[in-house]
Amino acid sequence: MNLEALVDCLSSASCAVTQVSTGLIVGMLLFLVTSGLSLIFGVLGIINFTHGAFYMLGAYFAFTAYALSGSFLAAMAAGAVGVGLFGMAFERLIMSRVYGRDILMQLLVCYAMILILDDGVKLLYGGEYRMMGMPDAFALPPVEIAGGFVPGYYLFMVGIALAAGLALWLGINGTRLGKIVRALAINPQMVGALGINTTLLYAGVFGLGSLLAGLAGALAAPIRTLTPGMGLSILIESFIVTVIGGMGSIAGAFLAALLIGFTRAFGAIGFPLFVDGMMFALMALVLIVKPSGLLGREAA
Amino acid sequence: MGTNSVSGRAPSRRQVLGGLAAGAAITGFPHIAGAQAKAIRVGMPTILSGRVAILGTSSRAAVQLAFRQINEAGGIGGRTLELVDRDSKGRPDEAAKVTRDLINNDGCEIIIDGEASSGAFAVHEVIRDLPVLCLHTCSETSSLSADPKLHVKTAFRCARQGIHDAVAGSTYAARIAKQKGLKRWMTCSPDYAYGRDNTAEFLEFAKLFEPSIETVDQVWPKLFAPDYTESITKILQTKPQAVYSALWGGDLVAFIEQSNLYRLFANVAMFSGGLGDPPVLTAIKQLPPGLNTAYRYNRTYPAKPANTAFADGFAKIAGHEPTNWAWQTYLGCLFVAEALKRTGGRTEGAKLASELKGMAVAAPFAVGETITMRDSDHTIVGYPVAWGRTVPKAPFVEDFSDVDWGKIVELETQWKKGKGYA
Amino acid sequence: MRVSLMRVSPLRAGLARDVAVAVAGLALLLALPMLFPQPALRDFLIYFFAYGLLAMSLNLLVGLTGLVSFGHAAYFATGAYAFGLLMQSGLVSIPVAALAAVGGTALVALVIGAICVRLKEIYFSFITLAFQMFIHSVIVTWVSLTGGDQGLRGGIPRPPILGLDLNDARVLYGTCAVVFVLCILAMRQVAQSPFGYTLRMIRDNPARANFLGVDVTAMKLGIFVFAAAMASVGGLILALFVSGAYPEFAFWTTSGEAIFMIMLGGMKVFLGPLAGTLLLQTLNHYVTIYTEHHGLVLGTVILVIVLGLRRGLADVLYDWLQARRARRAAASDPVPGSFEPAPLADGALIKGRTV
Repeated sequence: MNLEALVDCLSSASCAVTQVSTGLIVGMLLFLVTSGLSLIFGVLGIINFTHGAFYMLGAYFAFTAYALSGSFLAAMAAGAVGVGLFGMAFERLIMSRVYGRDILMQLLVCYAMILILDDGVKLLYGGEYRMMGMPDAFALPPVEIAGGFVPGYYLFMVGIALAAGLALWLGINGTRLGKIVRALAINPQMVGALGINTTLLYAGVFGLGSLLAGLAGALAAPIRTLTPGMGLSILIESFIVTVIGGMGSIAGAFLAALLIGFTRAFGAIGFPLFVDGMMFALMALVLIVKPSGLLGREAA
Repeated sequence: MGTNSVSGRAPSRRQVLGGLAAGAAITGFPHIAGAQAKAIRVGMPTILSGRVAILGTSSRAAVQLAFRQINEAGGIGGRTLELVDRDSKGRPDEAAKVTRDLINNDGCEIIIDGEASSGAFAVHEVIRDLPVLCLHTCSETSSLSADPKLHVKTAFRCARQGIHDAVAGSTYAARIAKQKGLKRWMTCSPDYAYGRDNTAEFLEFAKLFEPSIETVDQVWPKLFAPDYTESITKILQTKPQAVYSALWGGDLVAFIEQSNLYRLFANVAMFSGGLGDPPVLTAIKQLPPGLNTAYRYNRTYPAKPANTAFADGFAKIAGHEPTNWAWQTYLGCLFVAEALKRTGGRTEGAKLASELKGMAVAAPFAVGETITMRDSDHTIVGYPVAWGRTVPKAPFVEDFSDVDWGKIVELETQWKKGKGYA
Repeated sequence: MRVSLMRVSPLRAGLARDVAVAVAGLALLLALPMLFPQPALRDFLIYFFAYGLLAMSLNLLVGLTGLVSFGHAAYFATGAYAFGLLMQSGLVSIPVAALAAVGGTALVALVIGAICVRLKEIYFSFITLAFQMFIHSVIVTWVSLTGGDQGLRGGIPRPPILGLDLNDARVLYGTCAVVFVLCILAMRQVAQSPFGYTLRMIRDNPARANFLGVDVTAMKLGIFVFAAAMASVGGLILALFVSGAYPEFAFWTTSGEAIFMIMLGGMKVFLGPLAGTLLLQTLNHYVTIYTEHHGLVLGTVILVIVLGLRRGLADVLYDWLQARRARRAAASDPVPGSFEPAPLADGALIKGRTV
């Protein structure tokens, strides 16, 4: 524990800027993955354990599109849309068959899917480390803000994550479709009785959640190593974030992702060896005090 | 748990009988290898799936290359070498299980162990039980061969060893530190036993060789962490003159690329134990020039036609340049073949082990003429322990400077005494 | 406590039958290696014992009590490490170390369980997962004691007990088989006891159980600790066999596999999880031999089973037998629309849990 270093850092503008930006960088990508996980749980009531594998898929889709076209935009689109479509197909063909069944059945299906996707990626790309590469537009020196440094690509990444989160939040809370989706989460029979195609809606929500994971993967592809099984650690982290924030709450996911991001950023300065233990402890504490999470609805 | 309905529809009789038949068919154990006169089977437990799959796939390709060459040259007294590889999925208990199966069930008479870290210790214990010849070709943990309490008569390590690397690395680092006046050092290594031991040993010797070196801070990112931003910004805050890192593989690729975003290496000298591995070097899109790295493998060093031929032959099978694990495993195969020649094809563990003790083989990777399997503690010496600097284009690392093995062995002996190993 | 809401077979008759089955099972397990003397079969069965105990004990929570634990492997690992460390200390004999390891695990489970069992449904799953990850990180971090990620090195000594030399693979196998059967028998007795039936009631209707004066939390904690102790025996067998303990034992994927064994085998039949263990181990064994793409194969097989059969294999068999019995009953009863409820409409059965 080194509180002095922490205080020193907070009182210096350059250190504060760098560490705050670190918290945002770590937190926002995590938020992007977690928001999809939380959305799917909130509406469909299932925990999508394949979410980490979808993140991996997004990264590999982006890698392939970038290698073929050389266009960064095409890479992002391929990662996001490709995984969105894949998610919809997965929901229709496989996941929908275990709706309303034991959560363990869903877990088993997801596990099988993770095995298949990890192996499929290894079959197609081999076990080597892959890196998509940074497009020239971002190959600039880091931006200086009040003496602290923030790389341009991270500004872009945090911006996209914030925009996606905001769009999701506005979409759910401010549009007619969002209203229907919220209603679907509470009373699907009634929504169906009103003549709305709930099957399509379920697939759409699952696809959107997957798209967010794919987008996160695509955004990570230029800066994180691509290997089969890379989704595992992201799955655990986003799972912790979901539980702390509250299952099904997008705002909760945002809050918890920031919390984890800042814990990591300032933890590295103040209490470097306890950051991991901190995350588990936080998760256990939240579960004991308020099982539904920081911003989750109380279980009905 | 809310809804737990089970559909009322009973399965048809055919469905059930089909399932039972399938169940019965797979519970038998038909796969029993008979006495194979023609081929000598060599078993290989290794990691072929998950994040470190390249460890297993590249080690396997090295065995395939070596066995093909040995067999084409007439094999061992007319008998061919046959590889039986099996995925442990990175789980030590699974590694123990497949190793036992390879020996007991598949008739493997020799084991080439392509397991890392804990898996290698698990295989080591199996060999204590079932004493066939075993060569560990991927584990760098010093205690595996250095600790006499762990000694197994028929087990050998054919891989670089942490303590050798520490001495070599810190000798090189101390020299550069003196030249350039690098006094303030930081470390950034993965938080697990290997990362911590490696880093501690490096610092211990570096300070011994160059007392002006001072450790100003240490960061310990998690093993297999996808993101290193908080470690990188911590380094930026601390402003050291040099950084030592024991990161390796995909973790190191991510660390370098993310550091590039911050232009970290513009002001900080980097010393890396793992950067010299060709798949790491080729995966990094923008390799900064002038980073210091240990030799892991390079087709231009040692500059010998045999080395280039090995790299070409390997690349043809694997589709990429050899890894550190690849040359170690290939060398392991050379040791196995030579030992078999000397026993006249007899495969008893004790016989082969007595031949292997102190054996020197001519290898493409030897800096001198040969690499030796040391008699006393069953580990190799005389392999390349050089350090070099990165350049952005192939061969990616140049200016290799070798470290004298006499000095390494001398300090290793002291270290062993300190640890109570000797 | 008086709970006789469901049919409870007379204890003595039930016990006698269970013991008879156990003796027959043990005889079969001991005879198998004599009929097929390949060491590979013994190895395979020892792994089956270890993971079988993990899956069976987890089903006491999942199937019997309705507590879906995601962190059961933590106790498997605790047992393995405690036993390994005690044996490496060289101070105690194998039975003493084993008992201490099981007792120690029960204590750990008592502390963790006291916190966990207060949470309901999915939150119980999450907190058990959190504690498991915590234990895993303790094992990985506490290098001086546990060897960190490299596991307990140097082997676990096997000094003879009562003249039995456990370094002899056949003796080791026999000992493991006896321990395994005894543990299964113990779990069976717990499941068939009034305590076991109370747990079924808690699973099916906790509010009602509470209303009837059952201390639900204490009951849940009781089975949590017992299941953890049984899981630790599994870990102990594995540690004894592989002569080491590794942090992967405590990783969440090990818990995950135990859940898959239960799901593949089925939760309704007492021995269902063992069928699942056998199936998963066999699949794993053969698929790994023939292809390195076992992920593709195993994943596809699981999908086919889950989507095709929609329940574990033993459950399929059980439902089929029930349906056949129902058809026979219907055939022998000429009056259609009988008041006798068909077995398939049984409440507990609809719940899809151990009956």
